[in-house]
Amino acid sequence: MSAAVEAFLARLYTDAALREAFIASPGDVARREGFAGEEAAALESTDLVGLKLAAESYGRKRERRSRK
Amino acid sequence: MMADRVGLGWRGELAASILERLVAIDVLEVIAEDWTRAPREEQRALAALGRERPLLLHGVAMGLASCHRVDPRRLDDMARLVEVVRPELWSEHLAFVRAGGVEIGHLAAPPRTAASVDGTLENLRRAARVVGALPLLENIATLVDPPASTLDEPAWTRAIVAGSGSPMLLDLHNLYANAVNFGHDPMAMLRAMPLESVRLVHLSGGRWLTPHGVAPRLLDDHLNDVPDPVYGLLAALAARAQGELTVILERDGNYPAIGHLVAQLDRARRALAEGRARALGRAA
Repeated sequence: MSAAVEAFLARLYTDAALREAFIASPGDVARREGFAGEEAAALESTDLVGLKLAAESYGRKRERRSRK
Repeated sequence: MMADRVGLGWRGELAASILERLVAIDVLEVIAEDWTRAPREEQRALAALGRERPLLLHGVAMGLASCHRVDPRRLDDMARLVEVVRPELWSEHLAFVRAGGVEIGHLAAPPRTAASVDGTLENLRRAARVVGALPLLENIATLVDPPASTLDEPAWTRAIVAGSGSPMLLDLHNLYANAVNFGHDPMAMLRAMPLESVRLVHLSGGRWLTPHGVAPRLLDDHLNDVPDPVYGLLAALAARAQGELTVILERDGNYPAIGHLVAQLDRARRALAEGRARALGRAA
């Protein structure tokens, strides 16, 4: 199931609306995305400050690359 | 006496200055993706540079540390570049950069699990088949502790290094950033890494981010000088490493005068010498 978590993380890093919804209610969004059991619980305890900082950093990288 | 080497990441903005001060630089590391689609004559010029100083190719976009299969076109690109440039070695990150059709745009830490270990090992076998050699594997910096992990970073790294037989590129600023960001002792984290496999080292700098209401976090941005504790980690690594080390200083912008970068290379040489002397003192 790590493959599904990786794909979900990639969306969280790049989709601001999904990320905002997740930060507001991680467990609800994780379950809505089809995660259950241990993975849903793990996603519910995501480091939300780190998630936001990482997503901002990746966004700046994409922006710089698109300007090149 | 260990013949450790110290060099610099090749960047177009630094090219003239690097050539001017080549005598102070033992080895050069080149970002592979800057060259994979370059015209063949430019790739041959890079190969010619490799006759002046040993060249290392450094990949930044393969995404080998993943449950998802590595893009075979990227492996083909690397194989063709290796064929023309004939580098001393090539390296890549323990990171994923895309998943489910979504490009993240930079290196991201996957959940550290048995499944991602297996996926990474499978990708490394594919890479070795296509490129002709295993890459050295680099630990990445992350601002977020990857959710759904069941292994800590050193245990996950050791499992991949042991399972693949790949040597390790240990980025000491990445290690330092992850340690301070997630409440670990940097020296203890260093000791927990597979130091017996380290052949190559990266040094760089970063800046502190100060999110409202929580502890600051260190961003590895390659835009700042190497901080003092990272030289301490380099000396500690040199005191423990069995083989010769090659150390590369990475700088990706906010470029200072070349003399300032050469001074950091000299400081890295002193840290290596201090660590090697410490090891000799222990042996005596």
